Amino acid sequence: MSQFSRLVRIARTDFSYFFRTKWLMAVLISLSLSDMLVVGLVYTRLIPASTAIGSSYFQFLVPGIVVVGLFSAATDTGRRIWLALREGVIQYYLTLPIRTRGLVGAYIISGGLGGIVYSGALLIIAYLSLILFKAPIPIQGILYALILIPFLFVLSTGIAGLAAFFASVSRRGEMYWVYAQALQVSMVTISTVFYPAQTIAQYLPAPIATIAEYNPLSLAAGVLRNSAFGGNALETSALASLLATSLPLATIGALAYWIILRTIRLKGKP
Amino acid sequence: MFAVETLNLAKRYGKTDALRGLNFTVNEGEIMVILGPNGSGKTTLLMILCTILKPTSGTAKVVGIDVVEEGTKVREVMGIAFQEARGFWRHKPSSILRFHASMFDIDPAKRQDLIERTMKDLELWESRDKMFMHLSGGQAKRLETAKVLIQQPKLAIFDEPTSQVDLRGKRKIWDKIRELRDQGSTIIVATNEVREAEYLADRVTILHEGNRVVCDTIPKLKDAIAGGDIVEVDFEDPVPEKLVQDLNGLGGEVSLLPESNQLRAKVSKAEDWVPRMTSASYVAGAKIASIRITEPSLDDVFLHFTGKALADQP
Repeated sequence: MSQFSRLVRIARTDFSYFFRTKWLMAVLISLSLSDMLVVGLVYTRLIPASTAIGSSYFQFLVPGIVVVGLFSAATDTGRRIWLALREGVIQYYLTLPIRTRGLVGAYIISGGLGGIVYSGALLIIAYLSLILFKAPIPIQGILYALILIPFLFVLSTGIAGLAAFFASVSRRGEMYWVYAQALQVSMVTISTVFYPAQTIAQYLPAPIATIAEYNPLSLAAGVLRNSAFGGNALETSALASLLATSLPLATIGALAYWIILRTIRLKGKP
Repeated sequence: MFAVETLNLAKRYGKTDALRGLNFTVNEGEIMVILGPNGSGKTTLLMILCTILKPTSGTAKVVGIDVVEEGTKVREVMGIAFQEARGFWRHKPSSILRFHASMFDIDPAKRQDLIERTMKDLELWESRDKMFMHLSGGQAKRLETAKVLIQQPKLAIFDEPTSQVDLRGKRKIWDKIRELRDQGSTIIVATNEVREAEYLADRVTILHEGNRVVCDTIPKLKDAIAGGDIVEVDFEDPVPEKLVQDLNGLGGEVSLLPESNQLRAKVSKAEDWVPRMTSASYVAGAKIASIRITEPSLDDVFLHFTGKALADQP
């Protein structure tokens, strides 16, 4: 069996672990669905469509929910890595005939898969909701959403990489949760996931508005709004920016995780 | 070629030396038991052999492959059952074994049958629908053993394979380990359980404070102790001091157990010593209540070579 096949098997096993954590799934799904189907639909009737949000509030909010879903699912990689490090499963992995970099790759890919599968499911639910409420869906939008999958996958691996980094540097479980929450608050808050760029520019200092603009979550939410829900053609520059901001995150995370595995080989513990 | 060979192998954790220049070999197709208390370096040695740990200095080879230079190749030919069972918490035993089998290229056509048979042999079949996190300590330990059994590696390593396992389960695991040896695997078992070592070992290596103290077959190790047999004699009345002196003159090492009427003698040949002891006792007027003859245990061997009792170690 090739190294690649083994990498795929480990990624698949770790990926399935995400969906086996039923309590986590229940929390995530209930939060995402209540945001989408309660907050989204109710607020849509309260907030009129405007140029600031470009369309109905539902179509503005749902891409944000999809991106946050992707973020939550991808950061679960960190929890799984932390558990594997502390419960010794990582030592079992280290006895398998796969190179250390293969093991790192498997975790990052599985994080990417978790994010894309979970956010993909939310996207489907969003489209079904639009059909249910007789709102217009641009057919090209669905096609654009399919084209976006690999780009969202890279974003998801980037976030998984960041989570891997925090899991690797966390000595205690509660510290990992602190880091994960800090990451979520900073990345989601300083972004255009839930607010239009103009609003951020209006109320926050210019540097923060710039960070929000180039935050990969903002870029992903923007592309989804513009193309998957707006039906406008995909912009190459936006996709390139998404890749350019996601790949370094994946690289940093992979490197941090690789260093931890190397430390285990030298010291016997992370 | 040795199945395992280490040369001046050393491992240091901070200021602590876990292994101090260990030279150690295991022949192909044998069961080598590494006997030593906690902290003797057993687990560190095993972790180096299975490539989890890198040595600080020295070399280690598994079937001729260097564990540092070609770790992935080593991992293809070895399997380890950890001291603490390690598994995916939310997976069932059969799913864990399927994953393990797939990672080691076990023929997919035979995989399911092999897994089912091994689980039944180790009495895990009843627990097949439980998640790993719900298995008892003994069940998790048996699952750990099952991984290595289905893999049938060239080198199989078992780190305290029957800790947390009940007596019946212990015997089952020991028999399966011997079966694995008979199928051609070389086996290393690390333990601090004397009974386990006696049941399994083709040879025993005693490790103490990161060094190899001695390595040989059990009979030879026992013969190496001055006075290979132990004779325990119970008298009806307190033993006269003169008798103890006389018995010491018969060869061997005789001691009177404190606050009892019992003598303990380490002698070369019990069959020669006992008749002379009974004559001397008759002459001294000491009435014998019972005589027990035992050979030294591995605990005695450990005590002899290290100066410390295995059970007293931290």
